[in-house]
Parts: sequence; structure tokens; C-alpha cells
Amino acid sequence: MKQIDYKNIFYPPGGILIWIVIFLELITFGIALIALAIFSKEDPEGYHASRLLLNPTYGAVNTIFLLSSGYFMATSLKHFKSGNKKKSSLFLKLTILGGTLFLILKSIEYYQKIEHGLGMDYSTFFNFYWLLTGFHVIHVLVGIVILTSVYFGLNKTKSTTNLEDFEASTAFWHMCDLIWLLLFPMLYLIL
Amino acid sequence: MKDKNTLTILILFVLTISTALVSNFGVDWNWLVLTIMGVSAIKFLLIIFEFMEIKKAHSFWKFITIFYVVAIVLAIVLILD
Repeated sequence: MKQIDYKNIFYPPGGILIWIVIFLELITFGIALIALAIFSKEDPEGYHASRLLLNPTYGAVNTIFLLSSGYFMATSLKHFKSGNKKKSSLFLKLTILGGTLFLILKSIEYYQKIEHGLGMDYSTFFNFYWLLTGFHVIHVLVGIVILTSVYFGLNKTKSTTNLEDFEASTAFWHMCDLIWLLLFPMLYLIL
Repeated sequence: MKDKNTLTILILFVLTISTALVSNFGVDWNWLVLTIMGVSAIKFLLIIFEFMEIKKAHSFWKFITIFYVVAIVLAIVLILD
């Protein structure tokens, strides 16, 4: 397998392009979270009352799903690097399963919120809730599509999946974890 | 433990469960915000350094990721204070 000099400033694991994307995403979500904190100062009681309408257990379980899938992804990459494509493929499947479970639980949560009339126009807090979690869900969906394509590429008889592509997909998937780690406490626990 | 990824995920699980439990305690709100956001920052860095392997990368990437998470968490804690 091709050796990559990770100490080169232009080649962090996954490549510089994916890291530019990751930082753009993190900065965007970071600004949105700061805006949420600023807006919540104007009406702390209202935000707190809205926040209590969310179920933190859903948030915590979804955190466990995403963290587990992140672990499976890191393990899949480790096996890919050691040339064990069978194990890499297995852990890739588990990663996709973790992401899918996250989406299923999120859909249940969304369904319940809509059933109770807690849509975007319910309060400013729910405006932030739907926008932030909605954009995050889109990232998870894109991540699952990318990982599924990597999975099929890996299982071809003449696999063309290379380390750079695999690492970039891994970095994108972990980015979904990172965003969620900031969204979860802000939306479900502290306001 | 031989496998660092396994150790990392165990720490992440413990931190997640602790955060969820701490939020139910009747501790002072300012301390709660600081604790929960601080733990989130630690989890964020564990994923970046261990799972995303930034520990192997050039110091620039280590610095910029630490700077990002400290800046965001500090800004949120100071605003909510």
C-alpha cells in the first residue's frame, strides 16, 4: 500500500480538500450555535421551556449510535490499511448500520414533534432545532451514500478503492460525529 | 489496552453517559454549562485526534482543531454565563 507522509502540512489524513470542507462545515455550524446562544439570552425562559419539549434520551441514544459508527469506521480504516479487505468491508457495513439507526431514531423524533405541532414556527428555539438538526441529517444521508459507494467499490473483484479515497470518506463520516457532539448538548441539555 | 480505538470509544461512552446524568443533577447552572460543554470539547478532540488520526498530522492541523473547539466552547460558555 502507498505510504503517505502525514507530517506534510498539505496532507492531513484524508487530504487537504476534505479538511477544507470539514472546517467550512464546522465554522458554519459553530456560528449557528453561537447565534443560538445569543438569541437564547433574549428569552431564556422561552428557550428553556421549548428545550424541555425535546427528549434528551433520544439525543443520548443517537450520540451512542453515531459514536459507535465512528468507532466502526476507524476500525474499518485500520483493517483497510493492513490489507484485510474482508474485515474492512464488515466494519464498513456496521458503520452504515450505525448511521441508519441514527436516521431511524431521528425520523421517529421528527414524527413525534410534528404530531405535537412543534414545527419550525412553534418558537425560535424550534426554528434553530429544525434547521440545525435538519442540515445535520442531510450530512449523515450524504455520508451514508458515500460509504455505500466505498463499500461497493471495495467489494468489486478488481477493487479500485485507494487509501486517499477511503481516508477522505472516513474524515467526512467523522465530521458528522463532530457536528452532532456540539449540537446535542446545546439543543438537548443546557438551554 | 492494545487497541487504542477501543479504549477511545469506551472513554467516549463513559463521557456521554456522564454528561446525560450530570444534566439531571441540581447543580449550579453556570457550572453545568461549563461541565457539559467542556466534556463535549474533550469528546470532540478524542475523535479528531484518535479516530481522524490528526495526532499523526502536521502540528498546524493539531493547533487549528484545538483552537476551533476551545474558541467555540468558550464563546458559548461566556455568552450563556
